Amino acid sequence: MANPDPITPITRNPAGPLVILAALGTGSLLTLMLLSNSTMAAHTSALYSSFAAHGVGSVVAAFALLALWRLRGTQKDRTVLRRHAPLWAYLGGISGALTVVATSLAANSELALTGTLALGIVGQMALALIFDATGAMGIERRLPSGRQLLSLAAIVVGTLLIIFSRGMS
Amino acid sequence: MLVMIALALAGGMLVALSRQINGRLALQTTALQSSFWNHVVGLAVLTIVVLGAGSFWPEGAATAPFIAWIGGAVGVAFVGLGSWLIPRLGAAMTGGLLVAGQMLSGVALDLLRGEDAVLWMQLGGVALILAGVALSRR
Repeated sequence: MANPDPITPITRNPAGPLVILAALGTGSLLTLMLLSNSTMAAHTSALYSSFAAHGVGSVVAAFALLALWRLRGTQKDRTVLRRHAPLWAYLGGISGALTVVATSLAANSELALTGTLALGIVGQMALALIFDATGAMGIERRLPSGRQLLSLAAIVVGTLLIIFSRGMS
Repeated sequence: MLVMIALALAGGMLVALSRQINGRLALQTTALQSSFWNHVVGLAVLTIVVLGAGSFWPEGAATAPFIAWIGGAVGVAFVGLGSWLIPRLGAAMTGGLLVAGQMLSGVALDLLRGEDAVLWMQLGGVALILAGVALSRR
């Protein structure tokens, strides 16, 4: 966690409007993904829904990689030869898979889906701030500005309002 | 109850953790490769869990509609883009803006489908999120 192996930071235009729009668009993909995965969960179970999504995702990603390699085929002379990534960097999928187990257990308790989502947002943002402050996993260390903290606070409070707007009616 | 609260918090922390690790892999490979490994490794873990407690073709899988099967394909793009974003925005702003995009589109979907929710809370939430997004610009 303590930044053992820092990697060249990407500092060009850190929060330009295009990157922000890309992030918002990516977030809206999550709405589509949850709509699909919750449909599967309703037909089977939360665990099976995640299993199926990872299976389909593995196949789709493999085809996308193959297609890219075929397209690029000959021009393998990538100028920047980066060092090999450490083994642990390949294991992000473990925590992704365990997320389902943790959240589906919590959602079936008194917390219900609303409480689980709300606490999940808090947990995610708290750890993300710690990661930024420590430069965890070799990603550039950065301290959020006062303006960014205000931005994050507004987003988190707005998100909690929306989550509870569903749970209260 | 405390255990459940801890589990719910851990659920969110695991999201931040996997995004950070995948982002690191993307820095040394590509965003698409990080998404590929995320899905393959996750599938291996879930295969073990399903072996222990579940079925590979449960009742209901056969009758699930097409839309139930596309989540994984969307997830490939979601994880890849997240890995691309995290070195650019940092973990906190990436997480915040992803949640913002999810909530704005989620409220739009809820309103379209006429889901039951407290309107003033939804609109207040949207206003706060839009303000937060506006503030995120440097």
